[in-house]
Amino acid sequence: MNPKRAPVETSKRYELVAAALRSNIVSGRLQPGHVLVEGPIANLMKTSRAPVQTALRMLEEENLIHRFDGRGYLVGKLSAPVAPLRCDLAKLGLRIPNEIDSALQNRGLWERVYEEVESAVSACLIFGTFRIIESELGDYYGVSRTVVRDVLGRLHERGLIEKTQSSHWITEALTAQTVRERFQLRQLLEPEALRLAGNRMAFDRISRALASERAKKGAADWRQLDATLMEHAICRAPNRPLIELIRQNQVPLAAASRALTKLGLPEDEIAVNEYLMLFDLIVNRAIDAAATYWQNHLRTIAEKNLARLKIVAVISDPPSAAPYLSVRDPD
Amino acid sequence: MARNSSKLPAPSQTARRTLRVLGTDISLLECIRNRAAADLGFNIEFEVLDFPSCQRKAALNPDAYDVYDHCFHNVGIVWHWGALQPLDTNLLRCWNDVGPLTKQGGVDKYANRGFGDAPMSKLYVQPDHALGPDERRYIAMLPTVHNFDSFGYDVRAFADGGPRRESWAMLFDGSAKGRLALVDEPAIGLFDAALAAEAIGALEFENICNMTPYEIASLFKFLRGKLDEGFLTRFWTTAQESAGLLLRGEAAIQSMWSPAYGMLGPVAERVREAVPTEGYRAWHGGLGLARHVSGATLRMAYEYMDWWLSGWAGAVMARQGYYISATTGVTEHLSPAEWNYWYDGQQAAEDLVGVDGRTIVVRKGARRSGGSYLERARRIALWNTVMDEHNYATRAWARFVAEVNGRAR
Repeated sequence: MNPKRAPVETSKRYELVAAALRSNIVSGRLQPGHVLVEGPIANLMKTSRAPVQTALRMLEEENLIHRFDGRGYLVGKLSAPVAPLRCDLAKLGLRIPNEIDSALQNRGLWERVYEEVESAVSACLIFGTFRIIESELGDYYGVSRTVVRDVLGRLHERGLIEKTQSSHWITEALTAQTVRERFQLRQLLEPEALRLAGNRMAFDRISRALASERAKKGAADWRQLDATLMEHAICRAPNRPLIELIRQNQVPLAAASRALTKLGLPEDEIAVNEYLMLFDLIVNRAIDAAATYWQNHLRTIAEKNLARLKIVAVISDPPSAAPYLSVRDPD
Repeated sequence: MARNSSKLPAPSQTARRTLRVLGTDISLLECIRNRAAADLGFNIEFEVLDFPSCQRKAALNPDAYDVYDHCFHNVGIVWHWGALQPLDTNLLRCWNDVGPLTKQGGVDKYANRGFGDAPMSKLYVQPDHALGPDERRYIAMLPTVHNFDSFGYDVRAFADGGPRRESWAMLFDGSAKGRLALVDEPAIGLFDAALAAEAIGALEFENICNMTPYEIASLFKFLRGKLDEGFLTRFWTTAQESAGLLLRGEAAIQSMWSPAYGMLGPVAERVREAVPTEGYRAWHGGLGLARHVSGATLRMAYEYMDWWLSGWAGAVMARQGYYISATTGVTEHLSPAEWNYWYDGQQAAEDLVGVDGRTIVVRKGARRSGGSYLERARRIALWNTVMDEHNYATRAWARFVAEVNGRAR
């Protein structure tokens, strides 16, 4: 493996875009006054607009480009005003360094492959321990070993796969024990995060979610409520490592829960009302009561999750195990 | 419990209706179906499946049956799939006759409660719709047939050294090496293996009916070792199959269900049902109601359930060695000799016939192993159980069974 490629491969997409633009500004292919707009850059780099937006903000902070009256940015420092130069970027013959170009393309591929592998891995957690055969994974998607490693690295980071002593990647079976342990962790961390978040919570957002859910007739979506709780209450705690830990801990639980629902397991109707009760407490600024309520609720959800996990036993095999996953007995 | 005045809908006056019952060959016998249909005046269809298929169908396809006839240890599964509706004890005439084993957890205060899924723990529908032991008006299943199982063995294989203390350890003591068979059901056979592993001192479980993943992995490691040493011959799924293994001499010690002892013909004399010092592995059957059932079918389902506990069916079950939860009406349909042998642990005063009314399943002078109902019911080591790690254990079990039966083929 070329050691130089690694940093590019694993860097973030907006960094790749920024690097490409930066090198063209430095080399003079992009002249002061050239107008940079998100859309055409995104087309040229075969990416979405979001990373371009971030890349442009980065270059602005580096004082390589600046905002002006019109749409987009102008190349050059703000302190040296120039007239806007509008032209077709594609015709400027911008040079996109090879490694960045291939990394950008890999990254697009990476994202697609990652999504599919993550969903396959999530779906198999409840069926036992599986080994991921790297070469089969590469063959299956027709991608390089670098991409495979990138994908597996990310899955590992998210706590969905592990490496054994013999250096094999495995998906650790989601057992009742791991569910119980992860819920214990949730009971320790999440109520505390709510207390820490206190007045930092987005009360208006929670109040709005509460009102719209109450106005609704028929089945409410507890996942939506859960996302609101995470984003606007729990994650408002001013402690990044704590939030990271909370998110990380939820990943395999959420993955398994999605997989169970996909298998046709009934959802729990009572849960929705309990979220609404919690939102009510939050909106009324009864933060301590909300934290205690959430702690008790997590205990109940844990029991329900365990019951739900037991009943998957009637489904004999993973309905569509990917060819790169092979079942294995634990050591 | 207070009775209220809830009434069931009036019966249909038109076409003859049909009640569909899903279950296993433990209780769904043709003679039961015929008699119930004649007594109740409606058609009855039985769909008889093996344990896992029955459970799977009950959970995933509740529209395909009206009444579910299965075991308490897996009612939790079917319940959580949302396939069953609660039974109103106010509408069950037989409810007061149901004995204390399921309602209170033991036949008397001196009885071993046993580890695992005692039926009482899954009997009552709690306010949050979960199942639990606190007495309530609504129940998940009407308790019916049950028994206290052990293992059967060919006395010739264990003849050396004279009379022995019977223990689950006999499964792995080497006397019947190569001729050990187990029942292929992870909530049943797994515990026979676990009891044996503990009895020989190879493993120790903190709670044998709620093993950790590590304990489960250790059990399978132990079993694989025993397989390599040549102990196991195969896994069976029906009583007939297990009887066949003994008849052909393929098995000399194995998990055994009561009806199998009546199927042994010429070898019956030399097969003994053990009374293990550690105690029995108990199980309890019951009748549940599919969630979709309403109207006239609901009335038929309740009538069918009451009929089951009214005596005739209980007598048939006794002739294959099973007990029934309500014995009030059973004595009317069993001869004194039958009652005394099956329930009272006395010597058979005459030859006794099985469920077909012809085949002799007990010879005059024989005594039921383990004694009377009370004596046996007091020695429950554990119940057939769906553990917290059931999903994990079931998959490991299936792989191991496939391996063993694959070698046997």
